[in-house]
Amino acid sequence: MDEQKNGLNPFYEEFEVFSKKKEDGPLQYQFSLLAPNEEMAIVLAKENFFRREKAVDIWVVRRNAIRKLSQSEKESLKKLDKHYRETKGYADLNQRWRNFKEKQDNGTDEKKVEKA
Amino acid sequence: MSIESNKQELTELIYQLADDDFIHAHRGSEWLGLAPHIEEDVAFSSINQDTMGHATMYYRILSELGEGKADDLSHLRKKEQFRNAIILEEKNGTGEYLDSPNYDWAFTVIRHLFYDVAKKIRLESLKQSSYEPLADAARKMLTEQYYHLLHWKIWFKQLMTSTEEARDRMETAIKRVWKDFGGVLTLGPHAEKMVSAGLIEDEAALRERFIDQIQELFNEVNYSIDNEPLMIRGDGRNGEHTEDLEHALKTLSEVYVSDPQATGW
Amino acid sequence: MLDHLTFDQLSEEQKYDHFMDRINRDEKIEADDWMPDDYRIALIRLISMHGISEIMGALPEKEWVPKAPTLHRKLAIMAKVQDEMGHGQLLLRVAEDLMKPLGKNRDNIMSDLFTKRLKFHNVFHMASPTWGDAAIIAWLVDGAAIMSQTMMLDTSYGPYGRALKRICQEESFHAKHGESLVLSLAEGTDRQKQMLQDALNRWWDALLMFFGPKSKQETGHTNVDKNIKYKLRTKTNEQLRQEFFTKYIPKIELIGLKVPDKTVRFDEESNTWHYQDPDWNEFKQIVSGNGPKSDDRIRLRQSSYENTEWVREALGHVKTAVV
Repeated sequence: MDEQKNGLNPFYEEFEVFSKKKEDGPLQYQFSLLAPNEEMAIVLAKENFFRREKAVDIWVVRRNAIRKLSQSEKESLKKLDKHYRETKGYADLNQRWRNFKEKQDNGTDEKKVEKA
Repeated sequence: MSIESNKQELTELIYQLADDDFIHAHRGSEWLGLAPHIEEDVAFSSINQDTMGHATMYYRILSELGEGKADDLSHLRKKEQFRNAIILEEKNGTGEYLDSPNYDWAFTVIRHLFYDVAKKIRLESLKQSSYEPLADAARKMLTEQYYHLLHWKIWFKQLMTSTEEARDRMETAIKRVWKDFGGVLTLGPHAEKMVSAGLIEDEAALRERFIDQIQELFNEVNYSIDNEPLMIRGDGRNGEHTEDLEHALKTLSEVYVSDPQATGW
Repeated sequence: MLDHLTFDQLSEEQKYDHFMDRINRDEKIEADDWMPDDYRIALIRLISMHGISEIMGALPEKEWVPKAPTLHRKLAIMAKVQDEMGHGQLLLRVAEDLMKPLGKNRDNIMSDLFTKRLKFHNVFHMASPTWGDAAIIAWLVDGAAIMSQTMMLDTSYGPYGRALKRICQEESFHAKHGESLVLSLAEGTDRQKQMLQDALNRWWDALLMFFGPKSKQETGHTNVDKNIKYKLRTKTNEQLRQEFFTKYIPKIELIGLKVPDKTVRFDEESNTWHYQDPDWNEFKQIVSGNGPKSDDRIRLRQSSYENTEWVREALGHVKTAVV
């Protein structure tokens, strides 16, 4: 009802539209639309955003029901590197396995030489 | 059913179905770009495309029955040869679609809602038609009918329960459509033979279902009407039509007839 | 990197620098992010004009929706004009979110259109008297639009980029639709061919104008440069116009049509097309709302908007969702 306080036409409420393409897929954000209420929003969402695209489910959410991040909060998402909890922090493992493999192979060769 | 001995009632029925959808979709398409709301414009156009697509399916069946090319059937027949109900040919309002269209959204909501309710009932019946191509087409069309009804019911309920002005406009529109909606519910002069050939159920049964369903919608918004749908301007199934159809046919065939030598467009 | 706790305490100048850093790192700006007024105004100007052009662009083609010659064409042109309305929806939503902090919404966009404060593309001020015009619009006007929209896909403003991505996906159908219309007439009777040529003659200047005047040297116009600085677009008007010639002139000639400009030729040395400039004063007149069909189209949009005011008024008051 913030809209009415602003003196703007309450017909134009903002709804965010989400959908699922496949039964086992994630819900994805699509776009927003203006509608006077959620019943109308959902019936309009279908043809505005899924005329060609497939959807197995559609959700509409009043935008003012969503708590978003402020810009400061978004900046805080830019993380320092935390290598220790990501796979890329362990890029040396392959080489170390290879070293063991080589050692083993060489060892076998030495044995072969001794036998001969 | 044998096609040979029931050819006339079969083609008469399909012309009714085809022409109803074709003319109704034509009127809907004149709204394109002019609806009350941009988002609604997009949604409404999908419904008109579906309906025009259904008309195309029917004209193709007629074509397979030897009636001629689908485009010729839709664009070259004379007014008297059309079998659509008169209420569907009525203009959307005063003015032309390009020049001061004073279109009536309440009339459009009511006409579309009533038509889609009646159409769904008709399609449910046609699923059991003795003519398999018709039954098959009906099954396909029904998949799209759900959305049409959902859409128009929401518009109906919301406008009927909003402002006093909207309620007045809607009630005026109901009375206006009611006076001629009987034309959609009739099967015309060949009704008996259509039914005895097993093409579709009896007109009275279909009509009763329609009235029940509309009554239910009326109840939800505290509205009632005394009489039954009438057909005061004549029976389109019998080739009776108004100037509005004449005008519509002239518009929709303008390009198609403009070059008789043309073999493609 | 910026200490997030202090962002709100930055001076306007520091915020601006931070913003330009983001632009230069090709980050995408979102609706709620801090942005300089200059950027916001440039976006509103660009996107509201783009959006309303889609809405107004539905009108010249709409003329041909009921008249389309066959069942297939009736269906296809309905779908195409519907898409234009849908593109208008996407773009106006983007513009509306940018205008919201200024206390404006869709009603203001419409009233700005009616008073001619909000401009729309020159091509949509022109008459489309025959089915041939519907074909040329679908092939060449859309072809030109696809080029300028594709060029902006990587725009720095995230919501605009996402809208354009959806739009460009649908434009590939429009391009086929346009080609199909034109080829049918070009393969047809002499009368059909003539109808197509006449339409091309009518549209040629408008097509050249569509991309806008050359650059600031000729006009003192700075919007394009600003749009490039903010990475809203990547090519100049003239670059796009040249690409348009390269793509379409050979095709126009291939199907037996004549470009209605005797001077048009490709210069191998400078690798550019030479052509007769359209009348840029006329262009200014047209986009200011004084084109051949400007008043008719605005009146059509306005009267339909006013006729349905009661609907928006009524539903704005539906308080409880009816189940």
